[in-house]
Amino acid sequence: MASTRNIKIQTEAKRLLQEKAVDVVIGFKKGTLPYKMQPCFIHDAKEVEQLELNGLCSNNLAVYLNHRPKGEKTAIVVRGCESRVVQALVLENRHARENLYLIGVPCIGILDLQKLQADEQDPILAVEEEGDQVRVTYRSGEKTFKRIEILHDACLHCNHPQPMHADMVIDEPGYFEDQPYEKSYLDSFRKLSIEKRNARFKEEAERCIRCYACREACPMCTCEECFVNHSRPQWTDSTTNPAGQQAWHIIRAFHQAGRCVSCGACERACPMNIKMTYLTDLLNQDIFTEYGFEPGVDEALLPPFLTLGDDQVKFTDQQEDNHAG
Amino acid sequence: MKNKKPSIILFQCQYCLASMQDQYWVEHELPANVKLVKVPCSGRIDPMYILNAVQGGADGIIVCGCMPEKCHYKEGNLHARRTLSEFRNFLSSLGYPQERFIFHWMNIDERAVIQPLIAEFEEHLETLKPQTLLKTRTFSQEGS
Repeated sequence: MASTRNIKIQTEAKRLLQEKAVDVVIGFKKGTLPYKMQPCFIHDAKEVEQLELNGLCSNNLAVYLNHRPKGEKTAIVVRGCESRVVQALVLENRHARENLYLIGVPCIGILDLQKLQADEQDPILAVEEEGDQVRVTYRSGEKTFKRIEILHDACLHCNHPQPMHADMVIDEPGYFEDQPYEKSYLDSFRKLSIEKRNARFKEEAERCIRCYACREACPMCTCEECFVNHSRPQWTDSTTNPAGQQAWHIIRAFHQAGRCVSCGACERACPMNIKMTYLTDLLNQDIFTEYGFEPGVDEALLPPFLTLGDDQVKFTDQQEDNHAG
Repeated sequence: MKNKKPSIILFQCQYCLASMQDQYWVEHELPANVKLVKVPCSGRIDPMYILNAVQGGADGIIVCGCMPEKCHYKEGNLHARRTLSEFRNFLSSLGYPQERFIFHWMNIDERAVIQPLIAEFEEHLETLKPQTLLKTRTFSQEGS
């Protein structure tokens, strides 16, 4: 039943645990619902058969690194986005790279259950993947989709599905190829008039119920205390009024500027189906145009807000532009 | 309401006005529609402060800092420039036009520059349509 991809992941995890090269392997196992996968922490080589990876693994595993004890030797199953998160966190000195072992898996994309539910109202009983085809069993009957039709939006816009900086890469084909940086889906948003852009932003932001699931799902949200939880002084309204909702979405996105790897875990975690990766992508696109920086791709280049580069020189030349505003 | 002057928030680095007369003017003789937020360095200006001003209904925002190499804290102004200019772009794509948010980097030998700057900016703001896109609170509720 297990695919060759899963067997290869399990073999590698077993080897690492038996050789005591790592203390724990972070991966996915079957969840309690038939079409949901849940993260798991494998400490014993006997338990590696649980490990699986398929298109239903919607979490970003790198988020759990932030909650593990410091100095623990950890192996983690990474797809493209997760590997970039690890690299970005290592650059920010959140983790020591030598304590991490990355088992890279070429990404097959993440399925968006919302797109499946939208078609029919009756509940999903099972989801099976066979290459390009995805067979979904509803209560009323079976239906077959093409994988590309039901992929999550963030995966459709992904530029680096292949794992980067990994210690070993599972030798299985992924569903995508790497592409140069481009977020062309933003063009239509940028072309709108300012009123329409604002209306679109408000429409999304004002459905927010302030549960902060997006923050919890985000591997780059590593603050000890979030600005919305700070009560003295209180920076923003913490209730679900427009001021607080908009402030949360603007500042959350801005804290991810030049850091977000566009994995879309925040959108998948959102109970209100709020689109929010477009906010961080807007910022990242600006940063890519300005500084040529892509989060988590380069091994040594620091994010633009952590370094100043040769601004001292450049800034002097640009004096006049800044005056004009 | 038509005659109401545009409300402006001035974020000012405490070291950027080298002349004592200018500093005195900014602290004591600002027009009533301009509010001063004095900060230790322009690098201390968090995007959240700007957002608070925008949501509170500010018609214009001026960020005043020192020239490069003149920063009291070596590079706070460079940091402010990187983050705040990006934040300005971001706000402009969400509904706060870029022209309402200006930077001014002060040189040490500048005298009596801030007064005409504010006056010019105010004139410019008066020609624009009132902005209410990101305004979510009224001035009286703002603060604390």
